[in-house]
Amino acid sequence: MKRILVVDDSFYMRTMLKNMLTDAGYEVVGEAPNGQTALELAKSTKPDLVTLDVILPDNTGLDVLKGIKSEQPDMKVIIVSAVGQEVIVNEAIEYGALAYIVKPFSEEKVLEVVSKALQDDTKA
Amino acid sequence: MKSREEEYKEIFVAEALEYYDALNRHISELERKPQDDQILAEVFRLLHNLKANAKAIGYLQISDVSHKLETAFSLIRNRELTFSDEVVTVLFDGIDLLGELIHNIDNENYGEADPVLLRNLDIIVDNLSDSTIELAKVQKYNTSKNLSLSDLIYIQIKKLDHLMNLVGELMIDRDRIISISRELNNDELQNVSSHLYRITEDLQYSVMDARLVSIGTLFNKFPRIVRDIAAAEHKEVDLELAGQDIQIDRNILQIMTDSLLHLMRNAISHGLEKPEEREKKGKPRAGRVSLTAQNDRENVLIRFSDDGKGIDLKQVKNTAIERQLVTADVANDLSEVDALSLLFEPGFSTAKEVTEFSGRGVGLDVVKNAIDSIGGRISIDSKQGKGTTFTLRLPTSIAVKGALLFEVDEIFYAIPLIHTEQVVSLDKDELHEVGSALVTDILGETVTVVYLHELLNADPSDMRLGDKRRLKGQVQNIIIVSYNNRKLGLIVDKLYRQQDIVVKPLRKPLDTIDLYGGVTLLGTGKVCLVLDVPAITRFYVNKR
Repeated sequence: MKRILVVDDSFYMRTMLKNMLTDAGYEVVGEAPNGQTALELAKSTKPDLVTLDVILPDNTGLDVLKGIKSEQPDMKVIIVSAVGQEVIVNEAIEYGALAYIVKPFSEEKVLEVVSKALQDDTKA
Repeated sequence: MKSREEEYKEIFVAEALEYYDALNRHISELERKPQDDQILAEVFRLLHNLKANAKAIGYLQISDVSHKLETAFSLIRNRELTFSDEVVTVLFDGIDLLGELIHNIDNENYGEADPVLLRNLDIIVDNLSDSTIELAKVQKYNTSKNLSLSDLIYIQIKKLDHLMNLVGELMIDRDRIISISRELNNDELQNVSSHLYRITEDLQYSVMDARLVSIGTLFNKFPRIVRDIAAAEHKEVDLELAGQDIQIDRNILQIMTDSLLHLMRNAISHGLEKPEEREKKGKPRAGRVSLTAQNDRENVLIRFSDDGKGIDLKQVKNTAIERQLVTADVANDLSEVDALSLLFEPGFSTAKEVTEFSGRGVGLDVVKNAIDSIGGRISIDSKQGKGTTFTLRLPTSIAVKGALLFEVDEIFYAIPLIHTEQVVSLDKDELHEVGSALVTDILGETVTVVYLHELLNADPSDMRLGDKRRLKGQVQNIIIVSYNNRKLGLIVDKLYRQQDIVVKPLRKPLDTIDLYGGVTLLGTGKVCLVLDVPAITRFYVNKR
């Protein structure tokens, strides 16, 4: 079973993502409401994939992305952002994020992006 | 049970109200420090989340107002809009409006938002900073502002673990106080202590209740898992789930997760036949696997069955002989139930081939150990050609257990009720010496009986478990316990009551003594050892 870490500062968003992912047979190994927890959990749980919100209370999603990639370059990260943050998303892709999901998201979209990212072994 | 929509809505409202409170706090701070970047970033984040969440759940008015406010604050952040008195008023009003919208989510009579206010927000957002003078005075509609807090909180399981430990300690002290008050025979103290008893009992159940989750949180993961395993094994599977609403302690469910997954892999990989094979046998192409939960007194029963080929007893016996778990003679004499129990022996695995989903090496003993560790029971029933059923009996709580108290050689002992079957008094003459053991007949079943006095106290070189002469008195009190389909009678000196006990693990160096699962303190202040029925059964079998 593929293991996923969900990073989002909103409990509501985390719950929705977690339900969608677990219903689809993924294992959500952790939920992080801020950047620091995200980095700790990425290190301790070693997920196959991280869904990363770009606006977090303690630091930006980009900092978290750089932190993850510097320690575990193979870990797959997809960005979850809202409309109007294309600049950040583009930057995130440059730093190694595989794909992005725009809030509000549909279940189909989330699962499509996640399963594609997990299959794609070339870019990781 | 709450539908997922209702649950989402509760979470949305709870979180939205939190955001609303935080916004109010921050905007008051901003009035004093209008250019504080940190506060501005925080306000922006809160509005941003509120917008995204509201849009996701479909409260468009909330997401629209949040969006306007978010834009206004990003303008302020970029120094494109001044945090002037007029602007502050509009922003305050905007945030108040958000609060109203959130509070009135269920109120169908709640009308449209004030158009003047919305217009004011638009003026700010469209960056008509010169025209802020135009901002109309919006009538304050929030004269009777209510203060309200969310009624949903999010709590870490370790905090509940801590609380449960404290309740356990409290129960021990409570029992001690009750016992002392009886000894002192003081009315007032007895009144207070019986009140204390009721309150701690209530507290205990409330904390246990707070730790319960629906078993569905685990069961509902299975449809997808089953699909994947079935696809990899080229099998067709109909999964049946029932009892998702049954509640169980979260940690127990966590510990059982791997075991249920393991049983599921076994059932599909090794239990169910390939579709063509099933058709030949006159079974439907798709195999049926059912996973059901139900309450049974204090416990939760989980039944796991498949309609596959069942377990080949001959093969089980052969493997057990091969692995030197039993001799050929013993194997031949084993009853069906006893033979099936061999499956739970460490190192036993009947899987012929290694597949992606059920690798070799991990057998049912792992499942058994997980269940033993939480004080549960597992039994197995299988009919060749018809299928296999596992029945798991799990406690609803880990920390507190119902137990039967008894005395051997003036020392107190307890046995968890989950392992006790019945209590009987038998005349010494009804016990028979067979080899190095005592046996008796209980309702037509031959049960081995262990004289605990001998087992626990005799010097190993002089231990004679099959010697009736060592028994004291004519009438023997026997507790029948059961583990892994094996019944064992335990002869005790004196029987006491049933009681909820809090089991504490044995600490070094005592933790190496296998026969005890832990220790508890009785109200009298006496230490009481908790017998580990699985260990006693194993120990006894080894002795023989």
